[in-house]
Amino acid sequence: MAKEKQDSKNLNDNLKRLAEITAWFDKQEEINVEEGLNKVKEASILIKASKERLRAVENEFEEIKKEMDAEI
Amino acid sequence: MEFSAANKIFSVSEFIALLNIGLKKSEVKIVGEVGQVQFGPTGHVYFTLKDEKEPGLIGCIIWKSKYLLYGIKLQEGMKIMTSGHPEVYAPSGRLSFISDTIELAGEGTLKKQYEELKKKLTAEGLFAEEKKRALPKYPQKIGVITSKQGAVLADFLNNIGKFGFKIKLIDSRVEGQEAVSDLLAAVKTFRKQDIDALVIIRGGGSMESLMPFNNELLVREVAAFPVPVVAGIGHDRDEPLAALAADFSESTPTACANLLNESWEQLLLSLERCERNIITRYEAIFDRYLMIENKLKIFFERFKALLDSVAQILGQAERAIFLNNPERQLKLGYSIASINGKIIKQIKEAAIGEMIDLKVSDGNIKSEIKKINPYG
Repeated sequence: MAKEKQDSKNLNDNLKRLAEITAWFDKQEEINVEEGLNKVKEASILIKASKERLRAVENEFEEIKKEMDAEI
Repeated sequence: MEFSAANKIFSVSEFIALLNIGLKKSEVKIVGEVGQVQFGPTGHVYFTLKDEKEPGLIGCIIWKSKYLLYGIKLQEGMKIMTSGHPEVYAPSGRLSFISDTIELAGEGTLKKQYEELKKKLTAEGLFAEEKKRALPKYPQKIGVITSKQGAVLADFLNNIGKFGFKIKLIDSRVEGQEAVSDLLAAVKTFRKQDIDALVIIRGGGSMESLMPFNNELLVREVAAFPVPVVAGIGHDRDEPLAALAADFSESTPTACANLLNESWEQLLLSLERCERNIITRYEAIFDRYLMIENKLKIFFERFKALLDSVAQILGQAERAIFLNNPERQLKLGYSIASINGKIIKQIKEAAIGEMIDLKVSDGNIKSEIKKINPYG
């Protein structure tokens, strides 16, 4: 849970980790089902948290932009 | 009155009194040469005035207060003009001329008196440059001494700026010796009033007409006046001594008004400069703000693009994970075959009779290899 929370807070780290996971899949010659499954689970959590964080950042950004547009 | 007087019997004193009432109305000016001069114990001056060529002679009296006013020291042989009226002195029955004013007669004499007084007062330092005071900045309360008659006052008022001046005027005669007492009284009145500057103005004229402004008492009053004095007294070559004693001597009433306007006009200019500076600086701030605003807009666009690229990366990662998910492959019906934990990818890795493990979506199946058939 703590890891999930941490992941959801740091979009940059999440993207980095996801890049590592996809690279791992790319270089596998032999499928390790169990490890592959674990990677899939970790990636799913990271993707979900990242999407939520991205939505929050986008919303916050839109709010700020709207305020700035109103001021200008 | 004449009828009743003709029928009345008078005592001598009564008759002289009646006579004097009539004589008082005979205000005249006499020019003559001063004869004998006597100074009485009370300060009144008794002198005779005679014609130069004819035998005419009259005894004159000038009271102390008047005598001191005009600053002329009567001497035998002096040519003067005096204004006043005749009067009979009852105790002696003598006719005397009561002088209200005395002044020197003749251009040369006036010039001489002017030069002597100028020399004396210069020596006392009354006209010294270092004694001159500057006008206070932004003067408001102005005392003006001049005659209400004539164009001088109008010239002054037409040229004084609209800077909230509070002008107090004392009307005074400005010509002839009679003007001296008016001018002195006006200056003394203003001395007690709250003013920022005193202005004494009159139009141009001959030396005789400007003589009141060469009066010693007036000159001293001007020199000792508690606030700066601006004089605009005529345009004579021989500047009146009161103008020399003033802190500023201008040639016209207009110039006097301009002098009072000066600090106000400078203030206006300075305010206009400040206004221009503020506008220029504000415009610079506004330009800078526009620049920042533009930069901010560019930053917003870049940040939005960054968010889009993050979303794209996440999408790609999601697709890659989905495609690589082993569970998905197994659910589709594929299975993973392995012998002793090693995944079998080719038939050469298996032999008949060996036990083979098949991993499917929900478990493992163990089988024995009965037959191996290569494709094709």
